[in-house]
Amino acid sequence: MKIARDLAEPLIARGSGTGLCGGAAPLRAGIVLSFARMNQLLELDIENRRARVAPGLVNLQLSERIASTGYFYAPDPASQRASTIGGNIGTNAGGPHCLAYGTTVNHVLALEIVDDRGECFTTAVEDLGYDLTALLVGSEGTLGIVTSAWVRLLRIPSTTGVWLAAFPSIESASEAVSAIVGAGIVPTALEMMDATIVRAVESAYAAGYPADAAAVLLVESSGEPEEVASADAAIARIARAHGATKWQAATSADQREALWRGRKGAAGAVGRIAPNYYTQDVCVPRTRLPEMLAAVDDAARKHGIVVGNVFHAGDGNLHPLLLYDKRDARQVAAVIEIGNLVLARAVELGGTISGEHGVGIEKRNGMSMVYRTEDLAAMACVRDVFDPQALLNPEKIFPSGISCREMRT
Amino acid sequence: MNDTAISDALAEASAGRRPVTLRGGGVFSGMHRRVIDADEIDLRSRRAILEYEPRDLTIGVECGLTGAHMEQTLREHRQFLPLDAPDASQASVGGILAAAWSGPRRHRYGRPRDLLIGSSFALADGTLARAGGMVVKNVAGYDLSRLFVGSMGTLAVLLRANFKTLPLPDSARMFLAALPAGTRERAFAQIRNLRPEPAAAWWSTGFEREVDGEPGDDGRIAILLECENALLERATLDWRAALGRAGIPETRLLDAGAHASFTRLLDAPMRLPGVHALSYRSPSLPSHALALADSLAEVVDRFEMQRDLLVDIMNGDVTLRAVGDAASFTQMAGMLDDALHDRAPRARILAGGGEGHDRLDCFGLLPNALAQMRALKARFDPHGILNPGIAFFDGRHS
Ligand SMILES: Cc1cc2nc3c(=O)[nH]c(=O)nc-3n(C[C@H](O)[C@H](O)[C@H](O)COP(=O)(O)OP(=O)(O)OC[C@H]3O[C@@H](n4cnc5c(N)ncnc54)[C@H](O)[C@@H]3O)c2cc1C
Ligand SMILES: Cc1cc2nc3c(=O)[nH]c(=O)nc-3n(C[C@H](O)[C@H](O)[C@H](O)COP(=O)(O)OP(=O)(O)OC[C@H]3O[C@@H](n4cnc5c(N)ncnc54)[C@H](O)[C@@H]3O)c2cc1C
Repeated sequence: MKIARDLAEPLIARGSGTGLCGGAAPLRAGIVLSFARMNQLLELDIENRRARVAPGLVNLQLSERIASTGYFYAPDPASQRASTIGGNIGTNAGGPHCLAYGTTVNHVLALEIVDDRGECFTTAVEDLGYDLTALLVGSEGTLGIVTSAWVRLLRIPSTTGVWLAAFPSIESASEAVSAIVGAGIVPTALEMMDATIVRAVESAYAAGYPADAAAVLLVESSGEPEEVASADAAIARIARAHGATKWQAATSADQREALWRGRKGAAGAVGRIAPNYYTQDVCVPRTRLPEMLAAVDDAARKHGIVVGNVFHAGDGNLHPLLLYDKRDARQVAAVIEIGNLVLARAVELGGTISGEHGVGIEKRNGMSMVYRTEDLAAMACVRDVFDPQALLNPEKIFPSGISCREMRT
Repeated sequence: MNDTAISDALAEASAGRRPVTLRGGGVFSGMHRRVIDADEIDLRSRRAILEYEPRDLTIGVECGLTGAHMEQTLREHRQFLPLDAPDASQASVGGILAAAWSGPRRHRYGRPRDLLIGSSFALADGTLARAGGMVVKNVAGYDLSRLFVGSMGTLAVLLRANFKTLPLPDSARMFLAALPAGTRERAFAQIRNLRPEPAAAWWSTGFEREVDGEPGDDGRIAILLECENALLERATLDWRAALGRAGIPETRLLDAGAHASFTRLLDAPMRLPGVHALSYRSPSLPSHALALADSLAEVVDRFEMQRDLLVDIMNGDVTLRAVGDAASFTQMAGMLDDALHDRAPRARILAGGGEGHDRLDCFGLLPNALAQMRALKARFDPHGILNPGIAFFDGRHS
């Protein structure tokens, strides 16, 4: 950081580069700082259910390394085999199990940060004063560099059930999701995949998904056996009432693993059926899910683009994957257009332009769709306080023309 | 006052460099600030439920809404939020957030800030702005809503807060027991490993009138079970067996009274018998909490004051109430405060009556990132008009 400052060059923190909004990509000259080798588990304090990690530690490795203790790290982005905890903090990453456990910000207890002058400071949720820990989580490397973090560990639940429900249409599946949440049932995970994704996953992994279903819900519930049993009964009832043609339980750890492998490998599987794809990420109130999915379908159909939906349905967090061929300029234009339509519709429905992937370069202009100038100026003032010379990952998050000066003084 | 009136008042105060204090439920009756001559913005009349779609499990409210009102509204739809503030019929959502209050169920359900998904606020210059929204996942830009948590009204006036709500468990059952001599450590270890996990668990000595249960040689425990009906009886058997193995032969169960008992435990430190008393709360690690409690007890004993202690077994908080006599209390309070902060630097004062308390260190240890906080304060409130007197933010910490 001190070198970057002396050279007056930007510094861009990089975890594994799995980010989907260009967050770790430099736009001009500068230093890209990779944390790939700062990947240690620094301290493990099971008694107090916490661990201190270096930012480059790969997400899944933390849970794998501590599995024998009976504890795990809850945030589990589908990219968890590759993405780092530092990157997850940078984007406030979510994941399938965030429905019950919350996102990264709910699991970070304290941070060690290197600031824009190369000096170190620490923050902790228990600290007196402003919640800088929450501010720094999700700030995409624009306010400081995370050099270590204390994270919460949770006890591995005694019982876990995973079920698969097949639906005749995407509407009926999304209505079932709204009904489950509306009934006050919050399973540990509630993921949805449409026909395009199911077929891609089946041909790649043979995960055991019914290849003829128009939509599949993957449901996980965990806790005590009684709780898992009653979730099973209640969710099955709602699924059937919404036309589910199949309700199948994974009866062994292997089967559970296979069902999840399909979900977590969905993006890779799609890579086999299309030369390129673009992942959109929006979040809407959960009752608006059916409308939002209809809008995605509409826009894709109108522009002749195939769309696959695989997403965190229980949170109302959609990920339409738009399949295209980047050598075809028409398709590229259509995908960009659909992406914008999806953002606009999400905002109309009371939602937001990013549920978990972040703003980065990709959605800078979308910020003005959700926030007014005053709102953005308040954020810009925060940035100005932490990084007045705009050395830390500049040109990210903010649309052009927004600055702190717009606040009245 | 509506948003516009608050905005106008702030713009005017800012232009005239006049200080403004923000009034929530006032559960703290000014413990944390010097008395100064300032305009007051009273947020207590702003208590509307602005947006509540139970099927989305989200709610948006005005910040003057009390914790009790929030609980009642959500309960009608079998939902809840673990605000868990003391004096919930007074404490406002804005005050709870501004004071970064977090309760004894946070290990299980999160802190209020964990469930906060959006807000609207007025800045010192009167600018009205908002952050986040009504969706449960949102990473569009900085999380300003949470930045204001812990700001004690020094960074912005919180007008509206949006939360993600949780489904209300079917049943609540409180387990009370007296601890026979020599069982304390074993009991702690057992309680922290119970399955299902307790929603809250306390160990206490003193607080005879505030907390149910018989005192035991080693104090007593109160453990809250919250679960589905289907699990209640089996979990009760398992818990009793586990506690039995820790040497606790008998537990008393409260079903109808569980909620009232929980509330009494939350309120206990705020109940001061007269003015010659102080309540503190210190965060610590669960593994250190008992030792810290013993160490604080020793300090109070040295001052020959009466004391009550409450330890949050799941989260590690230690709460202490010290009661002195009229003759010597005012004179001893300062020394007691120093001695307690020696052992528990992060201890904060929750409540206290009598004279001279404004000289005490009610916040404890300053944060490592104080410079960053002061820089934010200087940028968001350049003339220092918002809640002046909360000294640590503006560099006047005594
Ligand atoms: C197949 C696939 C599936 C995915 N699934 C999910 C999902 O389920 N949920 C989800 O939320 N995301 C998902 N993502 C997106 C991505 O994996 C996440 O955004 C992840 O958090 C990025 O981590 P990374 O280590 O790759 O970080 P990078 O991409 O390298 O960086 C991400 C951002 O964090 C910043 N950063 C990195 N390290 C630091 C540091 N030490 N200090 C400060 N800032 C830092 C960077 O500057 C950048 O702005 C998925 C991506 C892929 C490819
Ligand atoms: C430092 C501190 C630590 C605490 N720790 C504990 C504890 O360990 N145990 C315990 O039992 N209780 C604790 N509390 C008390 C608990 O947080 C209270 O229940 C809560 O603060 C009461 O809310 P209130 O509405 O009465 O707020 P008030 O006492 O009225 O206000 C609290 C602060 O918030 C400001 N404020 C109020 N409303 C707003 C708003 N809308 N926007 C911006 N600022 C606002 C006020 O100006 C004041 O500075 C603590 C309080 C403080 C101040």
